[in-house]
Amino acid sequence: MTEGKYRHVHVVMELEDGKLVPVSLEMLGEARRLFDDFNKKYQSNEKVIAVLLGHQVKDLANQLIEYGADAVICADHPELKEMRNTIYTKVICQIASDKDLATKIEPTYGAEFKRPRYMFFAADSIGRHLSSTVLTELESGLASDINKLEINDVTITHQSKTAGKPVTYEKTIEMYRPDFSGFLWTTILCLDNKNPAIERDYHPQSCSIIPGVFEAITPDESRTGIVLDFIPTIDQKDLAVKILSRKVIKSEVDFDSCKAIVSFGRGIKDSPDENIKLIEHFAKVLKAEIGVSLPISKKPFPVNQSLSNNYMIPDRVIGTSGRKVNPMVYVAVGISGAIQHIAGMKEAELVVAINPDENSQMKDESDLFIKGRMEDIIPLLIEELKKQEKTVEA
Amino acid sequence: MTQLNLAVIIKLEPDFSEGSVSYNPDGTLNRAETKSTLGPHSAVAAKAAFYAKVRYGARIAVTTMGPPMGEMALQQAQQTCDAEELHLYSDRIFAGADTLATAEVLRAGIQKLEDKADIVFSGHRASDGETGQTGPQTAWKLGYTFFGNVIDYHVDVQTRTITIKRIVSLQGFYDVVEEVQAPLPVFIAIDPSYKATFNTVSERLAYEKYQKEAKIRADNYKQYLKVFNVQQLGVDQTLVGLPGSPTIVYKVERIPKGKANRKAEVLDGSNPEHIRKAVSKIKEALSAMVIK
Repeated sequence: MTEGKYRHVHVVMELEDGKLVPVSLEMLGEARRLFDDFNKKYQSNEKVIAVLLGHQVKDLANQLIEYGADAVICADHPELKEMRNTIYTKVICQIASDKDLATKIEPTYGAEFKRPRYMFFAADSIGRHLSSTVLTELESGLASDINKLEINDVTITHQSKTAGKPVTYEKTIEMYRPDFSGFLWTTILCLDNKNPAIERDYHPQSCSIIPGVFEAITPDESRTGIVLDFIPTIDQKDLAVKILSRKVIKSEVDFDSCKAIVSFGRGIKDSPDENIKLIEHFAKVLKAEIGVSLPISKKPFPVNQSLSNNYMIPDRVIGTSGRKVNPMVYVAVGISGAIQHIAGMKEAELVVAINPDENSQMKDESDLFIKGRMEDIIPLLIEELKKQEKTVEA
Repeated sequence: MTQLNLAVIIKLEPDFSEGSVSYNPDGTLNRAETKSTLGPHSAVAAKAAFYAKVRYGARIAVTTMGPPMGEMALQQAQQTCDAEELHLYSDRIFAGADTLATAEVLRAGIQKLEDKADIVFSGHRASDGETGQTGPQTAWKLGYTFFGNVIDYHVDVQTRTITIKRIVSLQGFYDVVEEVQAPLPVFIAIDPSYKATFNTVSERLAYEKYQKEAKIRADNYKQYLKVFNVQQLGVDQTLVGLPGSPTIVYKVERIPKGKANRKAEVLDGSNPEHIRKAVSKIKEALSAMVIK
């Protein structure tokens, strides 16, 4: 492979109502950290490139440079004001294959440039679909919901990719995704087919990144970078979708205005109905909102319809697949403490766990660990809360 | 009035309900012991298609890629949406496909349906893979406009246009409900929160009629089933299965225990003094000044 064919990382920015969504800056931060190491390790000078689509958004470019971008490619067009999958996909692919842009960013390799080496998208309801359509158009690989990235040279022996012979793939991005259980990490690689029978290049190596996992860098006003305008080619037939209205909605589950949150996990399983009712009662006394762990939202046990519809729903999930909360008090009932859940509640002031298993991972994430069965402990807590309430009133 | 033709893409998945699911001692899914069923998001997609049958008398085809057992999921989906046509794409060569290679099979299959699909439905994501990529990737290969997280839709059968409501959730931001309009054909991934409502008497009568029909059809599902292998599907063998998959699973490992972020004081739930202490600490934390 020639050196100039696949270079740089394209980080696709996400905006809402003209403002950057936090994950955009988080992705740039991670790309910056990766590429500082990459350029040192490989004595290279590849760039972190922010890809910005929208209308009247060019003012954001400087901010993106402060947050780690070496270059910003800005496609500013009235038809890109609102995110529409078809036209966004086309424009992002145009940018990803543009030799002129690549030459302006790095004259040495511009003529050889074919595609970015890597591409990052947000794993939310825009980026997830956009990454899928972009990578289908670019005919390359995509991993979703990533929470760790590393770039290494890896030696692979694979029946299909390498015809069973060991091959070293340089500068391969290892994309880690937690599985649904929260206990397993699967590492996905996107690799060219080196098997002569099916030889094919797969670049860019791409992924969608879970919001809230990586940290943005501290913005640095002294950072410099280039801002490039891109004039997209827009085909009228890609504009067939009309956006009739957009309404902001507030979830009925209000984690932000409650001082306390009580969450439950699979530990309720011995008697789910009774336990949920117990937790409901406890939350009421504590004036707390109710949250759940991800497995609960998949309704793993048969539960009374109304309880199930009220509580065992994605809207209540706390963690990387749900919401991030920071209450004064967080009570985790029967929650094992998978990292995705922790990511959603680690900012809480006081964390109380109720769990019979002292070896539970949750213990390392709690201030108070009440050992025992929820069936026994919660009624005692309710009683004591009421008692102390009365004392205060008196 | 021209008929409306629908296709629903479904998946046979591990059954996560209690009694069917089995976990290893370390908390991971025990795939060998876990039963399979029609995925819950696939079931929602089938319900969403059934809505169009009740409302517009649409013709429905259900398709899946998977092992021969996949026909079980097709039968379940048929019972939900009263499908006239069932497709199973099954070949050893399809095994090990990533989402892009899966999308290639589904694209080819949908183009083989008896009538060209005006709307293709898929679930939000599979419960096991959870990528949510296969739907939009299939849509792009078909050249259909894609909409994700769809919670409601109406079709104007005369003008061949669809009006859709979808949820856009941006973490760290608010959620938005977007109403959009597009000409057919479209591909929609149905949001888990989708619910069909039938308000008029004629809709409710149609609903009952088609439900009865669905039951009879599902009892004789084999009559509606077509199975395709790679040759019958006519796809390029280098674009499907392992050869057609850009990505591989390199390793699977237990997520290492992070370093302890807090130092827990362990309390004994059967000791009243400890309970008192816990409640005092909770009250204390709640009465602190809120500075956010």
